[in-house]
Amino acid sequence: MKGSVLILGILLTLVFGCSKQNNFTEREINLVSPEKISGFDPINASDKYSGNEAGKVYEGLFEFHPLKRPYELMPNLAASMPEVSKDGLTYTFKIRKGVLFHDSPAFTGGIGREMKADDVLYSYKRLADPKLSAKGWWVLDDRIVGLNEWREKYSQAEATDYNEAIEGLKKVDDYTFQMKLKKPYPQFLYALAMPYTFIVAKEAVEHFGKEFLNYPVGTGPFVLPKFDQSSMIVYTRNTKFREKFYPSEGEEGDDKLGLLADAGKKIPLVDKINVYIIVESQPKWLSFMKAKNDMIEIKDVNIQQTLTPENELRPEHKEKGMRLFMLPMLDVAYFAFNHENPIFKNVKLRQAMNLAYDRDGANKLFHENTAFIAQGPVPPGLAGHRKEFKNPYSKLDIEQAKKLLAEAGYPEGKGLPEITIQTRNETVARQQIEFFAKCMDKIGIKISVGMNTWPELVNKVTKKQHQMYTMAWGADYPDAENFLGLLYCPNQSPGSNGANYCNPEFDALYSQATILQDSPERTSMYEKLNEMVALDVPWIFGFNRTDIYLTQAWLKNYKVMEFNHNQFQYLNVDLEVKKQLSKKF
Amino acid sequence: MKENSLWKDAFKRLIKDKMALASLIVVIVYSLIAILASMGLIASDWAKEVGASNLPPSAEHWFGTDIFGRDVLAKVLHGTQIAMSVGLFTALIAIPIGVILGAVAGYFGGWVDDFITWLYTTFSSIPNIMLLISITMILGKGIFAVYIALGATSWVTLCRLIRGEVMKHKEREYVQAAGAIGGGHFRKLFLHILPNVTHIVIINTSLQFQFAIKSEVILSYLGLGVQGEPSWGTMIDDAKLELARGVWWQLAGATMAMFLVVLAFNLLGDALRDSLDPKLKGK
Repeated sequence: MKGSVLILGILLTLVFGCSKQNNFTEREINLVSPEKISGFDPINASDKYSGNEAGKVYEGLFEFHPLKRPYELMPNLAASMPEVSKDGLTYTFKIRKGVLFHDSPAFTGGIGREMKADDVLYSYKRLADPKLSAKGWWVLDDRIVGLNEWREKYSQAEATDYNEAIEGLKKVDDYTFQMKLKKPYPQFLYALAMPYTFIVAKEAVEHFGKEFLNYPVGTGPFVLPKFDQSSMIVYTRNTKFREKFYPSEGEEGDDKLGLLADAGKKIPLVDKINVYIIVESQPKWLSFMKAKNDMIEIKDVNIQQTLTPENELRPEHKEKGMRLFMLPMLDVAYFAFNHENPIFKNVKLRQAMNLAYDRDGANKLFHENTAFIAQGPVPPGLAGHRKEFKNPYSKLDIEQAKKLLAEAGYPEGKGLPEITIQTRNETVARQQIEFFAKCMDKIGIKISVGMNTWPELVNKVTKKQHQMYTMAWGADYPDAENFLGLLYCPNQSPGSNGANYCNPEFDALYSQATILQDSPERTSMYEKLNEMVALDVPWIFGFNRTDIYLTQAWLKNYKVMEFNHNQFQYLNVDLEVKKQLSKKF
Repeated sequence: MKENSLWKDAFKRLIKDKMALASLIVVIVYSLIAILASMGLIASDWAKEVGASNLPPSAEHWFGTDIFGRDVLAKVLHGTQIAMSVGLFTALIAIPIGVILGAVAGYFGGWVDDFITWLYTTFSSIPNIMLLISITMILGKGIFAVYIALGATSWVTLCRLIRGEVMKHKEREYVQAAGAIGGGHFRKLFLHILPNVTHIVIINTSLQFQFAIKSEVILSYLGLGVQGEPSWGTMIDDAKLELARGVWWQLAGATMAMFLVVLAFNLLGDALRDSLDPKLKGK
């Protein structure tokens, strides 16, 4: 009997759960997260999807402008951009007055109090707390005077003392504080726009203890009283949100696209956000096709269902008013040589292999012709990438490759050992190397595939136990330094320079350029660095992949954004359009 | 009535069963393909690009082409060689281990039996696939690791059967007689008892083969098996993503090839038992 009641219950849930009608009265948007969310503690929001969820509830001192490109930092909880001392070491921040934390039982009376400079300092110290081993610690590691020492001191102690003064993190008054850096590092401000440095309240952390990751108490535009690990997260508008307005300027052409229609309006523009967690690509696609969600990121297998061979939106989707967004991602996929291996010190061999790789073929097979061929380490969209620069080795030229291979001392590949390329244990990754092997076979180079689980691969790269490996690097922040650093000698394994590439000329210019503030001078230095290293082919440059998004006609104000955790407060929904179009679904 | 030897008799009964005969023919055809492929006479050019990528089956390419424009039929045939070689080498490793350990345990009893029983009980209590994965992790990836991993994990059933059978036989009159005329342990065990339990080995080999083939496919699917050449497992792994694009022929080719040979070995195993097991004689 009990069993049948249970079964009946399950059936009823299935029937009614699936028949949820589209909502035409409430101002809500429906989104999908393709990964499970591990929790809402900002200091551990290391993947994009956890960051996106935390970004609805929490905020940082700065955020990226939702419309302007190239990406531009603007103050968010900070009242203005900081004052920087002449030596580039001391930053003075003013924070906004009247910002309230969400109501929560953690506060006396259950009413959220005002956020002050102490909260900012507390949140940053928390990121450094050795007891918490935060995933985001690297953004502050070795940057702030006294912070590493503080972390070191308490790593053995019973409890961490947050009241102890740290030279580099100093409160001036309730709305002002100072940060002192160890050495000039202008990219540092980007760290204060990342989810790791979102501001939390001490009372909430102490009240909820270990459960803090399930009870987000932030200052953000939406509230979520409790995260219960279900497959749907419902955020509601923060009714006490401060006066924050939709921007009135953007990139050229944004007004034509209707992106400025809401200029000057108070945000957030919707009352509710529903986030469905759907991991598998096919159910995600079907739910979008049934108008159950408003936006979808298109990956591998769904590309053909979305685009015509000419890379345009297929007519059946156009008819339903869906809109297509395609933009190069800030990333680069590459095959890295291990430069500690003597055979790869030979630049002619590296050039020959670059010239023998059929990138157009790979683009067609693996990216449905949507990726861009990488010309160097810096991807398009960042200062340092020049559109006019074409790498003479990022093209297919078998004859030249054969000639260079002979000059390198390996005519027709004779004398060259078989080269194993390490990659992830995954279908497409294997096929990509099989394809690469086929290309190399044409000039006589033998390639084999080494398949690894992700930790195995990382381990081999860190311990320099590889001949070659493949990787894709996504930007942490919009600065070419993040990519050029992958080839900076002091960063070699276990650092991010897994190719262990060293070039003194490059290193000298790199260390000069990266301490400069953003300026035309720095941009031209970045360009020089990018092109210098591109011609030396330390990697086999692969692709800059493309972000492809589809949105429903009623989702307003959407623009592709690489660092999009703050984007959701600017989105809007057109209920009239939704009602009309719903007949077509 | 003319008397036949045990084997002739069994063979006659086997081919009378149409299903068994068909299975036997399938197995022979697969073996031939495997031999020819390993000699390089067929499917040696599986890596060659023969047309555009993902062409559907046609008169020219019966099973279509894969993502790199290679002939799927050639890959299936090359996969046959891999699968059959895995079956053969696994059997070559597992059967001696199983027969010797089983025979020794059954014949001597006592602490020898206790030890071997403990050994195979421990082995069989570890989930097979876990053991396979850990062995390939230790030995490194590749076809030799697959041979050894499968050989080392699949002797348990045979060992257990042989042990029971030997225990039964060692009390029989013919063994006692052999002892009475001065035969030693070795002589009694290997010259008198073992020939009388050979049918178990044969039946088991057939089942062993199909287990090995299935396991190789699973390992290759997981990326732990054969590296750098086509196997049915890697083909099914490829097909996982192709299906959404409507490319079904690679999956169909590999699964049909596997389905046929596994079915044939299973049916053959059954038929062999029917015809070889004296207890089932005449049924």
